[in-house]
Amino acid sequence: MPLLALLEFLRSCALALAGAVTLLSLLLLVERSIAALTSRRVKRREAVLAPLVYQAIQEPEGQAATDWALGGFDRHVVRGILLRLAIDLRGDSGDAIAALYQRLGLFQVDAARLRSWSVTRRARAAVDLGLIRVRGALPFLLGAIEDRDTRVRQAAAWAIGQVADRDALIGLIRLLGDPSAVVARRAQEVLAERGREIEDALVTYAGESGSREGRLRAIELLGWLRVSDAVELLLRLMADPDAEIRVKAVKAAAAIGDPRFLAPFHDALEDAQWEVRCQAARGLSVLGSPLSVTRLSRALRDPQWWVRFYAAVALAEVGAVGEAALTEAVEGDSPPARDMARYLLERGSAVPALP
Amino acid sequence: MTWRDAAAGLIGWYAGVVVVFLFAINTYYLILMLIGFWRTIRSVREVQRPDSRRLLRSPLTPPISILAPAFNEEANVEENVRSLLMLDYPLFEVILINDGSSDRTLEVLISRFDLRPSERSYELAVSCQPIRGIYESAAYPNLVVIDKVNGGKADALNAGLNLALYPLFCGIDADSILEADALLRLVRPFLEAPGITVAAGGVIRVANGCDVRAGRVRQVRLVKRPLPLIQIVEYLRAFLFGRMGWGGGNSLLIISGAFGLFDRRAALLAGGYTTGTVGEDMELVVKIHRRLSEAGRTYRIEFVPDPVCWTEVPESLRVLRRQRTRWHRGLIDTLWRHRSMLGRPRYGTVGMVAMPGFVVFEMLSPVIELTGYLLVPLLWALGSLSLAFALTFLVIAILYATLVSVLAVLLEDITFRRYPRIRDLGLLILAAIVENLGYRQLTVWWRVRSFWEFWRGDLSWGAMERRGVRAG
Repeated sequence: MPLLALLEFLRSCALALAGAVTLLSLLLLVERSIAALTSRRVKRREAVLAPLVYQAIQEPEGQAATDWALGGFDRHVVRGILLRLAIDLRGDSGDAIAALYQRLGLFQVDAARLRSWSVTRRARAAVDLGLIRVRGALPFLLGAIEDRDTRVRQAAAWAIGQVADRDALIGLIRLLGDPSAVVARRAQEVLAERGREIEDALVTYAGESGSREGRLRAIELLGWLRVSDAVELLLRLMADPDAEIRVKAVKAAAAIGDPRFLAPFHDALEDAQWEVRCQAARGLSVLGSPLSVTRLSRALRDPQWWVRFYAAVALAEVGAVGEAALTEAVEGDSPPARDMARYLLERGSAVPALP
Repeated sequence: MTWRDAAAGLIGWYAGVVVVFLFAINTYYLILMLIGFWRTIRSVREVQRPDSRRLLRSPLTPPISILAPAFNEEANVEENVRSLLMLDYPLFEVILINDGSSDRTLEVLISRFDLRPSERSYELAVSCQPIRGIYESAAYPNLVVIDKVNGGKADALNAGLNLALYPLFCGIDADSILEADALLRLVRPFLEAPGITVAAGGVIRVANGCDVRAGRVRQVRLVKRPLPLIQIVEYLRAFLFGRMGWGGGNSLLIISGAFGLFDRRAALLAGGYTTGTVGEDMELVVKIHRRLSEAGRTYRIEFVPDPVCWTEVPESLRVLRRQRTRWHRGLIDTLWRHRSMLGRPRYGTVGMVAMPGFVVFEMLSPVIELTGYLLVPLLWALGSLSLAFALTFLVIAILYATLVSVLAVLLEDITFRRYPRIRDLGLLILAAIVENLGYRQLTVWWRVRSFWEFWRGDLSWGAMERRGVRAG
C-alpha cells in the first residue's frame, strides 16, 4: 500500500510538472502578446498626442496643457514623449519642455517618486528630473545625493550635472570622497564634464580635503580639465610623501603641460615609484624641451618597460636633438634602450595611442 | 541473505542516490537561474537609464587591448580583423596572434593591412613560444600582428599579453563576432568599481541562422536545424542566467575564452594563461580567484548580461562531441589542479560554494546520471525494477529539466527579447522539450568519456568545422 501511495504521489508530481511546463509556455506566449499589444497601443496614442505636444512646446502661450484632460495611459505616453525630446533639445525648446512637464504635474509626481520605497523608482525619478532639467528639482536632487542607496546617489549626481548651477556643482565635489566608489566615480564623471565652471573649488578640494580618495579623484580631474590655476598646488603635490598622490599629480601636470613643470619632471624621473617616472617622461613628451634629452636618454635604460617607452616617445617629440639621442641609443650598449629607440625611430608618429 | 539480495539492496540504495541527485541538480539550475534573472533585470534596468549610457561614453573609460589568437584562419581573418577595428570604443588596440598557422593567414594579413615588420619591444612578463616577428601598419595604428611558433591558444594569448599596452585586455576568439558596443558594455563593472573589478565576462550567443554581413550580425534569426537550435536553449540556460547567477556571490568560475575582459595586472599576478590545458579560460579565472584571495585583496569578478559575442556552434554530432569532451576535460583539469581550494573558507564563496557546486553538479553529474541509466537494466535483471516507478521517475526527470529550459526561454524574452517572432518562441519551447529526449543523454555520455581522455592526458583541441555564418 505505501508503495502504491508513493507511486500515486510521484504521478501527481509528474502531472504538476507537466502543468507547470504548459503554464510557463502559455505565459511566455501571453507575455509576448501583451507586450505586442501594449506597444501597438502606445504607437497609436503617440501618433495622436505627439502633434499636441509639439504644438504646446512651440507655442507655450497657446491652449493650456492642463485642458487636455489626459487619462492615466495618455499621461504615461506624453511623459515618454517629453523625456525623449528632452534628451536632444536644449535652450528655449528645453525650457518649454520643462515648463510643459511641470504644467502637466509630472514634475510633482517625480518629486514624490524620489521618496518611494522602491530603489528603482527613486533612481529613475532622479534621472527623469535630470533629463527634464527643471531648476526647481535641485533641492530634491541635493536631498537625493544623501540617499542610503548607491544607485539613487549615482543617478542624483548625474541629474545634478544636468540641472545644476555653480553652487549645486560645488555641492557635488564632496561626493568625490563618497565611501561608495561607484558614486564617487559618477560625481567625477559629471565634474569632468562641467567642472570648468568651478575650477577654483576643485583646486581647493584637491589641496585641502581630508578624504584621500576624494583628493586623488580631484587631482585627476585637474589634469583632465587642464586647470592652469592648479600649477602651484601640483608643484607641491609632486613632492608629496604619498606615492599615489605623486603619480596623480605628475599625470595631471603632464596633461596641463606648463613649462614650470620642467624641473620637477626631471626630478620625478628619479622617483622610486616607476609610475611616477613613467608619468614624468610623459610630461616631458608634452613639453618637448631639448633640456630634457640627457635625462630622457638615461630613462631609456630604466628597468621598467613603460618608462622606457614614454622616454622614447618624449625623445621623439623633442625634435632633431631627441632623434639624434635615439639614434645614439640604437648604436649604444644597452639592449633595452636599443630596442626601444629602434622601435620609435621606425614608427615615427604612428606609435599606438597612449592612455 | 543471498548475494543477489545484497546486490539488489546496494543497487537500490544507489538508485535512491541517483533519484535524489536528479532532483537536486534541476533544483540547483532552477535556483541559479532565478538568481541570475533577478540580477539580469537589475542590470538591464541600470543600463537602460540615460545616466548609465552616458557613463559608457565617459572620457575616463580605460583603454583596452584586444587579444585575438588565430590558427589557420586564412579564409576569414581579414573580415574578422576589420570587424574588430570597427568596434565602438574610445581607445583600443587589436593584437592578432598568428599561432604558427600552416596556411596563408599571415600573408593575407600582411597584404590586406599593409603590415610592415616592427621593432616594437616588449616585456616578457609571461613565458610563451618564441615570437618570430611583430608587424604593424601605418594605415591602422591600433593593429598589431604577432607571428609566433605554434604553442596553442593559451600560449598565443600569453604572447599577446606580453605586448598589450593597455591596463585592460579582452581575450576573444578570432572568429567570434562582437556587437559594435560590446566592449563599452563589458567595461561597465570596471568603471563602477575601478581597482576592485579584475575580470568581467560577457554573453555568448549562437550566430547560426543569423544574417551576418561585414563582420556584424545584421538581423537575429533563429536557426531551423535541430542541433544548433537546442544549443541556443542550452546557452541561454547555462551561459546567460547560470553565469549571471554565479556572478552574484563573486563566485564566477568561468569566463568564456571567446569573450572576457581582464585587468592585465591581475592576470599577470596569476601567471597569465596556463599552457598544457584545454580549459585555459576557466583556469585563468580560478587562478585569479586563488592568487587574489591568498593576497587578501578585495576584488570582484563580474558577469555582464548585455554585451554580446556571437559564435558559430557545431552543427554536426562529431564536432559537437569534440567540443563537449574538450570543455569537460578543461573543467576536470582545472578543478583537479585547484582541488586544495575546495571547502577552504580562506577562498570565500569560491572555495565554500562554487567549487563544491561545480564538482558535484558540473563535473560528476554526467557520471551519476549515466550510472542511473545503467541501473535500469540491472535492476530489471535482478527482478527489483518496478516499471511503473522507473517510468514515472523518468518522466519527472525529463519534465523538471524541460521546466528549467522553458523558464530560461521565458526569462530571455522578458529581459532581452532577441528572437522577436512568436514562431521563434514556439521553436525554442520545442527545443527545450526535445533537448531532454536524446541530446542530453548523448552529451552525458561524451562528458563521461572525457574522464577517460583526461586520464590519458589528452590535450587535443579538435578542429571546429564551420558552415560559415558570414554567408548570411
